[in-house]
Amino acid sequence: MSEPVSPRCAAGRLLAGSVLVALVWCGLLPRLLTLGPVYRHVALMEERGVDPSAMYYTELERLPLRPAWVDDVLILWPSSVRGFCAQGKSAAR
Amino acid sequence: MRKGLHEDLAALIVGLAVVLVALAVTWQARPAEDAASRSQYPKGWPTPLAATVGTPATWTDMPLAAFRDRSGTVAVQPILLGMGWVVLVGSVGTLLAGGSLRRFLTGGLVLAGLACLAYLLAAQKTVKYYNLEYPLWALAVGLFVGNAAGVPRWLSPAVIGEFFIKTGLVIFGAEVLMSRLLALGLPGIMTAWIVTPVVLVATYLFGAHVLRVPSRSLCMTLSADMSVCGVSAAIAVGAACRAKKEEISLTIALSLFFTVIMMVVMPPVITAIGLDPLVGGAWIGGTIDATGAVVAAGETLGKEAGEVAATVKMIQNSMIGLIAFAVAAYWAGWIERDPAGPRGTLLGEAWRRFPRFILGFLAASLVCSWLHSLGPEQALWVEGATGGFTSKLRGWLFCTGFVCMGLQTNFRQLAPVLASGRPVLLYVAGQSLNLVLTLALASLTFGWLFRKVVEP
Repeated sequence: MSEPVSPRCAAGRLLAGSVLVALVWCGLLPRLLTLGPVYRHVALMEERGVDPSAMYYTELERLPLRPAWVDDVLILWPSSVRGFCAQGKSAAR
Repeated sequence: MRKGLHEDLAALIVGLAVVLVALAVTWQARPAEDAASRSQYPKGWPTPLAATVGTPATWTDMPLAAFRDRSGTVAVQPILLGMGWVVLVGSVGTLLAGGSLRRFLTGGLVLAGLACLAYLLAAQKTVKYYNLEYPLWALAVGLFVGNAAGVPRWLSPAVIGEFFIKTGLVIFGAEVLMSRLLALGLPGIMTAWIVTPVVLVATYLFGAHVLRVPSRSLCMTLSADMSVCGVSAAIAVGAACRAKKEEISLTIALSLFFTVIMMVVMPPVITAIGLDPLVGGAWIGGTIDATGAVVAAGETLGKEAGEVAATVKMIQNSMIGLIAFAVAAYWAGWIERDPAGPRGTLLGEAWRRFPRFILGFLAASLVCSWLHSLGPEQALWVEGATGGFTSKLRGWLFCTGFVCMGLQTNFRQLAPVLASGRPVLLYVAGQSLNLVLTLALASLTFGWLFRKVVEP
């Protein structure tokens, strides 16, 4: 937290900062989008429906998972381990 | 906050209440037909609460476009309601903690407005597609306002950033599904379970004992952010080890900076060295911090690589709960232990200092994991409630918490540590170890041992 400033000075600073942000966000950043590599990156992400800004997997519009991996989380255990688990289950019954 | 409940307990109560309401409302509105059909409801059951919490949409050069939906019609209401949730949660927390509701309300509305501004900055297309997430802009907005105008007296009672973050974390627990830890079976476990704890502990010890970073909580927050899953891990572990606001802010800034670089650089490097896409996907999933950036980089390599990258990251995501609990227990039992203080049992002392909101986080995670594992119907129920509502609400709470953090941050306290360059060195050293170990285990599991079972 900074020291208290006069209302006039605070308003001036806030105004100057807001103008700078508006210039960057409405002027510079949209122009960057037209650059080749940036354009290609954004186009690919849009085409695949990927949201790179997601912080956690629940925030993704589409989670690229194989359906089998979601429906059966143990599907990729090697057959020997699956066999061992199945034996354990039948023994328990 | 005085006289009332402790902030941790207030966050625990409010957070769990939100999760219960979300589950109850979603259950009440469950579909009459095909309730267990994943193809019908790929993102879980639709919840009526989803319409009560929205964020600004992606925009290119006209910020006003952020307040329109995909069809072009004005969609301000869900955003205003999202801000309303922030004020409601803050008001209940203030009341529980014995504060004055009247004094909170004005500041709370302004804070919600600033959080909306942070979301608006993060929704610009270039910013969004390069993974510069909202916490960074929330911190920046708070820092800018705090330094340009200071924090007026009427705003101070509403600056309860830690409460917002802790409540957001308890709600976040509902999204941390333990059952996901088993996804991909042995190859996933070997790649994510072995490397993550090894890198976490090694980086922490390296920072604390070799680089001698003065703050252990900074070492732990940085290590967790880099080894687990970026910003969400920094928030959870930073809160568990009671890191300072400045330390969490610094960690998030460092993490996002390196994430953007790795997201752009790793796919061409993998292609250039001719690495197998499945191994490359696992390497990306285990090393890039942020989930969205992992999927973006993985998809750049191809569909299969994207699938493997997302799954490895999802396993790491699910480890947050266990790691945050372990760090909170370690901090309470060892780091914060006063050797000169009265000698009680280790467990008793640890319990006295243990951050209670972590229990709420764990409870939400365990209950939702259990419900999710009961069957396909219950899985869609939990996914609908969390994906449709709680994940968006905790986003608003985190965003508001970071605005508060920015308003209160005093980087002068961290200046000597920053000037030494040690946090950057620690991040680079830890990430280098992460890159080497993950590549070795990804090559072993996805490239050789389980090659046949992971191939599409």
